[in-house]
Amino acid sequence: MKYITKSERETLNVAEKFVQRLKGGEVLCLIGDLGSGKTAFTKGLAKGLGVKNIITSPTFVLLKSYTAKLKNINKLVHIDAYRLDSGAELDYIGVEEYFSDKNCITVIEWADRVKDIWPVNAIEIKFKVLKGNKREIHIK
Amino acid sequence: MIILAIETSCDETSASVLKSTGGRLELLSNVVSSQIDIHKQYGGVVPEVAARHHVQNINPVIMEALETAKIKPQKLSYLAVVSGPGLITSLIVGVEAAKALSVAWQKPLINVNHMYSHIAGNFLSKVEFPAVCLVVSGGHTELVLLKNYSQFKKIGQTVDDAAGEAFDKVAKLLGLGYPGGPAVALKATEFLISNFQFSKISLPRPLINSGDFNFSFSGLKTAVLYTAQKMKKKELEQRTSEICYEFQQAVVDVLVGKTMKAAQKHKVKTVLMAGGVAANKKLRESLRESVEAKGLKFGVPEFRLCTDNAAMVAIAGYYLAKKKRPSRDDWKKVKVNPNWELK
Ligand SMILES: Nc1ncnc2c1ncn2[C@@H]1O[C@H](COP(=O)(O)OP(=O)(O)OP(=O)(O)O)[C@@H](O)[C@H]1O
Ligand SMILES: [Mg+2]
Repeated sequence: MKYITKSERETLNVAEKFVQRLKGGEVLCLIGDLGSGKTAFTKGLAKGLGVKNIITSPTFVLLKSYTAKLKNINKLVHIDAYRLDSGAELDYIGVEEYFSDKNCITVIEWADRVKDIWPVNAIEIKFKVLKGNKREIHIK
Repeated sequence: MIILAIETSCDETSASVLKSTGGRLELLSNVVSSQIDIHKQYGGVVPEVAARHHVQNINPVIMEALETAKIKPQKLSYLAVVSGPGLITSLIVGVEAAKALSVAWQKPLINVNHMYSHIAGNFLSKVEFPAVCLVVSGGHTELVLLKNYSQFKKIGQTVDDAAGEAFDKVAKLLGLGYPGGPAVALKATEFLISNFQFSKISLPRPLINSGDFNFSFSGLKTAVLYTAQKMKKKELEQRTSEICYEFQQAVVDVLVGKTMKAAQKHKVKTVLMAGGVAANKKLRESLRESVEAKGLKFGVPEFRLCTDNAAMVAIAGYYLAKKKRPSRDDWKKVKVNPNWELK
């Protein structure tokens, strides 16, 4: 599914709607350049999942986890591989546990940097910066 | 009161001994074993490497802190340790070491928040309250209102990227090195030296008039991206320092502007600064000027107390111990909390 959004708000909306397709246990692998909207998209997901906190960029802390409230989904885990070179590093901090949790949604920014640990059910979402504020979001 | 503090929340393994005599604080030691050079090779942080180094360094660093201070464990009043926020695999090394020592030496353990410890880096000398503190680092950008040394409230924070992160990402966008903060600051100075005019590039000052005390830096990152995209390669090369200059100015304008608004609204007597980005000279001096122009007191920790270190944890521990007397059983309640936000 491909979307072209013209503002951050539209990206948030795409993400919030996308939440309806989630059952819990999904791992969303976000790929795209700096400023392409991966964190913005995650903010939309969080809204859809009923997360109360402000979603901030996890680039420096690598991982943030939030309490979610939507049907059986009670957790949103927001990971950022921007500063990592391989998935082994994420393994090391215990992300496997989240991948196999049916009540958790895991989002990984810069997921192309940690392809070695993508689970089989990973959902790839690609972001492209088009002209100006246009972004292409491709959910595979 | 004598406190031994331990800090392993991110890249540095650190231990420090602090002594207070009638309210006068004296740092007897502050040992920091940095991994920055190691992580520089990777252009980022490597959790596995970080944790392994913490494990290797923790005991020697603690012992060196005690030896330098010439303090025997029996002489300690308390232990203090950072249990969050930070990287779980790094935090756990310091926390478990501190708990073990608390049991072995029968010394109460004080649980310290990493962000609060940054603020406490300002408390070596007396502070006039109320105060507001701007805490800026790679992972955080927050405004904290302090009623006294140990009672505080977060009144604002970034809603997306932290200020330090924005510096790093702009450096990346412009092809400058890691860590990005110093690289961008250096380029900005180059522009200032070679040009007696203002930058012709204009970047936004996000949320500067938002009425609350929140920050946003992702839009600024995006604006730099658009600016760079519009230029041909040659032009971009020539104007990189100009972009850096304007970018840094935009960050400084927003941070200083909002901190001053908070100072005014909450009628503070003192404005403080803390965190790694406090090392940015332009930011520090601009804030100092604005604060002093209003007749308020300004404080920023000396440089070695701005980056992660255990001395500030010891100072934080001292004020927490004064607020609530620690007990020997407290170690049982200390748990690593990677998401521990200041309230
Ligand atoms: N259509 C759009 N969708 C999403 N964001 C947009 C759009 N138009 C403009 N923007 C802006 O682009 C920026 C997206 O930044 P964001 O931090 O979400 O990107 P990111 O992909 O997470 O970057 P990073 O690689 O630094 O983590 C924001 O400043 C946002 O306001
Ligand atoms: Mg992001």
